[in-house]
Amino acid sequence: MKKSDKPPKSNMVIKEQRAAYVFLIPAFLGLSLITYLPLLAALFVGFTDLTIGHMVRGEAPQFVGLKNFIDIFTNPSIDFFNSILVTVYFALFAVVSSVVYSMFIAILLNRRIPGRAFFRAVFYVPYILPAVATIISWSFLLRFEGGLINYFLVNMGFDRVHFLSSAETVVPSLVMIAVWACGNLIVIFLAGLQNVPRTYMEAAEVDGANFWQRFWKITIPCMTPIIFFNMLMSLVVNLQIVVPALAVTSGGPGKSTMFMTYLMYHYGPRSGQYATASAIAFLFFMIAAILAAVLFITSKNWIFYEGGDDK
Amino acid sequence: MKKAKIIAILCAAIMILGLVAACGGSGSSGRVELVFALWGDPAELETTQEALDVFNDMQDRIRVTAIQIAQEEYSERLLTMAAGGNMPDCGMVDERTAIGWTREGLILPIDIYAGQPSKPKDGITFKDNGQTVAYSVASEVLGLWFNKDMFDAAGVPYPPATLETAWQWDEFIEVAKQLTFDANGNTPNDPDFDARNIVQYGAYVNCWAWQMEVWALSNGGRWYSQDGKSIVFDAAAIEGMQNVYDLYLVHNVAPFNAGQEDNGWWFSIGAGNVAMGTDGQWSTGFAGDSDIDYGVAVLPYMKQQANITAGGPVAVFADTDHPDEAAEFLRWYSDPENNWGPIEAGWWMPNMMNWFTDEALLKRWIDDTPNRARLPASSFRTAMADVALHPSTQPTGWYYTPNTDQVDRILIASLSEAANGSKTVAQVIEEVRPALEAALAG
Repeated sequence: MKKSDKPPKSNMVIKEQRAAYVFLIPAFLGLSLITYLPLLAALFVGFTDLTIGHMVRGEAPQFVGLKNFIDIFTNPSIDFFNSILVTVYFALFAVVSSVVYSMFIAILLNRRIPGRAFFRAVFYVPYILPAVATIISWSFLLRFEGGLINYFLVNMGFDRVHFLSSAETVVPSLVMIAVWACGNLIVIFLAGLQNVPRTYMEAAEVDGANFWQRFWKITIPCMTPIIFFNMLMSLVVNLQIVVPALAVTSGGPGKSTMFMTYLMYHYGPRSGQYATASAIAFLFFMIAAILAAVLFITSKNWIFYEGGDDK
Repeated sequence: MKKAKIIAILCAAIMILGLVAACGGSGSSGRVELVFALWGDPAELETTQEALDVFNDMQDRIRVTAIQIAQEEYSERLLTMAAGGNMPDCGMVDERTAIGWTREGLILPIDIYAGQPSKPKDGITFKDNGQTVAYSVASEVLGLWFNKDMFDAAGVPYPPATLETAWQWDEFIEVAKQLTFDANGNTPNDPDFDARNIVQYGAYVNCWAWQMEVWALSNGGRWYSQDGKSIVFDAAAIEGMQNVYDLYLVHNVAPFNAGQEDNGWWFSIGAGNVAMGTDGQWSTGFAGDSDIDYGVAVLPYMKQQANITAGGPVAVFADTDHPDEAAEFLRWYSDPENNWGPIEAGWWMPNMMNWFTDEALLKRWIDDTPNRARLPASSFRTAMADVALHPSTQPTGWYYTPNTDQVDRILIASLSEAANGSKTVAQVIEEVRPALEAALAG
């Protein structure tokens, strides 16, 4: 059918479209003023030499082109390339672990077990605890000297483990804490599981499908939109990891937790080197956007929308 | 609805008036209004203001209002205020940022004691290229704190409290071995000693980055060049730092210490499982919160006696319209007489030289303060007050180098790999030397 052959839009459709635009205005304004404009400002500042000194002295910053973007990769005291690696490593590790763990727990909590409401609360509570309190409490549990977990390990005849004080174990330990705190994902999975159509399950049961066959052939496909949403949310949250580095690891051991946001904090609010911090912030945004785009693009091959995607 | 609107407008007006009042300027009374920022619990603001009101009441030209900011976000908040053109007139400054902030123009490079008959000690003076920019309000040095009960139980004499009798490093290790016990009561000198099951450690050295500098100096090395313009970290400095980590890695006399914790006293003497540990003079103040009977001695040394000075500085900020009045207030605030609380409690040592040389003043802040008297006072005098004046005590890097904040960030992260033994200090420094040089250059 030619483009010009499209049927004219009905009044109802036009009205709905108008309503949609009206309702989008507040979100659009909010996003523009709070997100996109600061993002553009960060990009702009990243091309200057702005520091706190300029603001105090009332001097205009100079345009320096790509200098800051080159500096953050070539200046060994920043070493942004390492920060990208450790941040992406942590984020991907945490996303996969969190999604698998929360799906597993959600399936358990979706069964008729005694005290189900209590257990649902137990798994959700870590999510609403303050992040700093959580990480500091975990750091005490994981301490090499006097930590409860190492105490048990020694009493069971094992060697103590440098959970947070070794470059090899610190990220897996932080991932474990992130997974422990992903109660929000569990709740969303639970809601999704309760919406898996019973008719499919009953039909499969009649056809003799066992639990695993029903899980892989019905539950998982029906849950793919929820899995996608949880992966996206988890990716965004975990890329922004900063609290463990601020509160416990100080970016170490070595450079193993020198996350992008931690560098951003050090060069921005901590040191007032706003041009460097802005360059880091903008590249951080680009990396997050690329990873989210990859997720979106690949999702077309594995997401199943029961009612279509309303294209 | 209307009523709510009026209340909202009134609230906004009050807030704006409050902000206007908080900004420095000349008040309607004709007095110069100053805002002074200091760190501490914001809940203590009322008490702090009461202390400052002594200054406000003793003269009628200047009125000072305090703003108190939590220490963990102090620099960040001040930078935000500076970015908004709303910086206080004067205030405390994080030691690590003092020189850097001066170069950025946040701190006015003025000597608040210029032309005054007496000044704070030279070792606690912040200098940028030789020019005085700030002074610490307290004069701190490091010491060796020890648990008297643990020494008594092991039958080991207390550590020496004078520089003349200070232990050499090997003696320190030997005594630490006598005070380290596994669950079966064996020491590292016994063949059956179980290093995996230690219940009491003989020693603890605070490995928080800036305190590690003292061991570089003690071993005859340096972190920074004398002019503060370049990174040194020579072989002697590296060896001195490795000696500290070897207390845990080789000698089994110290707990693992990644150097991530500022407050070493609470993780050593205060934790009740370490016989002796190094930390700053401010550890005297912990006596009020602890039942542990502890004393103080001088630091052991490697190749030469060494100690480092510390103490939070106060400075005049660039936004002020009244630098002379701000300087006058800071001199008043820095006077030990006007900051007697923290001195009496043991958190601070006085900053002025005469408090270390005048016998009556010495007696007043050492012998007559309970937390120092219990150490006892005689030990405190030789292990702290005398050391503060001794030529072997040198200013910490932050008194003469810029960007020590970024240098510390790199050191804290990287040295934890030397602490856990996965790398030597030499390997760590070799890896991060370019980063340290770049960080110092800014």
